[in-house]
Amino acid sequence: MKNKLKIYLPFMENEFKRNLAYKGSFYLFILCSLFGSFIAYYLWMAIYGSAETSILGGLTRNEMVLYVFMTYVTSNMVMVGIADEISDNVTEGSVAMMLIKPIDYRMSLLFKAFGNVMYRFFAPGIFVWIGLEIYKAQVLKMGVTPVFNIVCYIISCCFSVLIHLLFDFCFGMVAFVTTYMFGMMMAKEALLGFLSGQLIPISFFPQVVQQVFEFLPFSSMIYTPVMVYLGKYTGSSLALVLAKQLLWIVILYGLGTILWKRITKRLVVLGG
Amino acid sequence: MKTLKRYVRLYKVFVKQFFKFLVQSKADFLIGLMGFFFTQAAGIAFLYLVFQQIPSLGDWTLDQLIFIYGFAQIPRGIDHLFTDNIWLVAWRLVVNGKFDRYMLRPMNLFFQVICEKLQPDALGELLVGIILLAVSLSKGIVIVDGMHIVFFCISMIAGAIIYTAIKLLFASLAFWMKVSGPVLYTAYQMADFAKYPTEIYKKGVRFIITWIIPFAFVAYLPASYFLRPQVSPWETIGIECILAVVFFTIAYLVFQKGTHVYESAGN
Repeated sequence: MKNKLKIYLPFMENEFKRNLAYKGSFYLFILCSLFGSFIAYYLWMAIYGSAETSILGGLTRNEMVLYVFMTYVTSNMVMVGIADEISDNVTEGSVAMMLIKPIDYRMSLLFKAFGNVMYRFFAPGIFVWIGLEIYKAQVLKMGVTPVFNIVCYIISCCFSVLIHLLFDFCFGMVAFVTTYMFGMMMAKEALLGFLSGQLIPISFFPQVVQQVFEFLPFSSMIYTPVMVYLGKYTGSSLALVLAKQLLWIVILYGLGTILWKRITKRLVVLGG
Repeated sequence: MKTLKRYVRLYKVFVKQFFKFLVQSKADFLIGLMGFFFTQAAGIAFLYLVFQQIPSLGDWTLDQLIFIYGFAQIPRGIDHLFTDNIWLVAWRLVVNGKFDRYMLRPMNLFFQVICEKLQPDALGELLVGIILLAVSLSKGIVIVDGMHIVFFCISMIAGAIIYTAIKLLFASLAFWMKVSGPVLYTAYQMADFAKYPTEIYKKGVRFIITWIIPFAFVAYLPASYFLRPQVSPWETIGIECILAVVFFTIAYLVFQKGTHVYESAGN
């Protein structure tokens, strides 16, 4: 275990450092994604303004403000992808090199992604989060979030990161089949945004659809940690959602292993 | 006249070339189409789910918002289809010196940039836009008469020009910054604000998307002319046309100026 860490930790470190080098463009991307949150914020305020009841989809107006911005903080970390790197490696043929080296391809990708996740946790995740907490206590008068919720949120978030990365690895295997990943990625992002609760809380969906979502990994990516943060799960239901997240990690890990084995068996690399 | 003829002929050659490429990669085309289609469909599904909870948003009903949403997609799609290559100027062509090849040919530079590529994925956006407009028409919430049809066509073209102008303006910054992709992306994302009635935003935001980066004049404001009889076409589509001309002129001048300061990266 310790040896393994020694091999893969540098991947994480490098990625973190690389991010530090290209700060300029990164901050603009952050600004951009914050735009999205502000659109959502104004839109929800207008929606609550025209609603006849004060609770929509199980959330009050103030909770919705928290939901919108915590979704931003969470998805900013969780939605770090690896499929685009796989696709690059496949099209350039450098995946051949990866197969030769005595390292596990998936592990190296995962650790690189961890480096990105860490970076995004510091910039801007934590700052937006602290700002939100201050806003919550001062303006919304809801008090600071209890430590227990924060700890549970962080645990749930770590699970989410793993679920999304392992899912993205499976998705990245598509790159071995098609050459046009750009379109596939757009479709994936649209679907994930919708099914994970990024665009709209899952509780807004009709009952039947929600039941279907119970059997999919997507709501475990964003919706679960944010709802944990809001304190919507207590006691056994909290344990249940966390257990479900763990289960998905195991399932997606297994699926990734199988797919990788099958695909590398029939892989043809020209040049590289 | 002679030059115009020459450019039309050249464009035909480029487009023909492009179709050959398209036939070769039919699967890619379908995947791209699907990607855009899903993105738009998610936006509509969002509105639909929200309106399960509320009767109307301000003075707007679900049907009207869907019309605005669809209306916004068409100029975006048109611009996307024809001028997608501008993105590459912002991201790559200037920084890696590939812009050289345009400088060497005896043709208008802007013309060369846009005719390099057609983006068939944009048909996904156009398709969504047209479907939504058709649905709105069948519900009878849209005002249809001769005047409105004429103004509709004008608005679509002017809207597409505003999109092109904003893209060109921010992409041209690449001549000074080398890579202006992130800036362009940020400006382009502002368009998302304009998919909804601008009344829901605070004054500052409203001012920016109406006058600084005028996406409100591409979507919401002209669309309201087709939904509300009291809205004057001159104050919406008229201003849209003026903005289209002004912004495109500015963008084109900046682009021209940029090509003069362009220095090749060397190969």
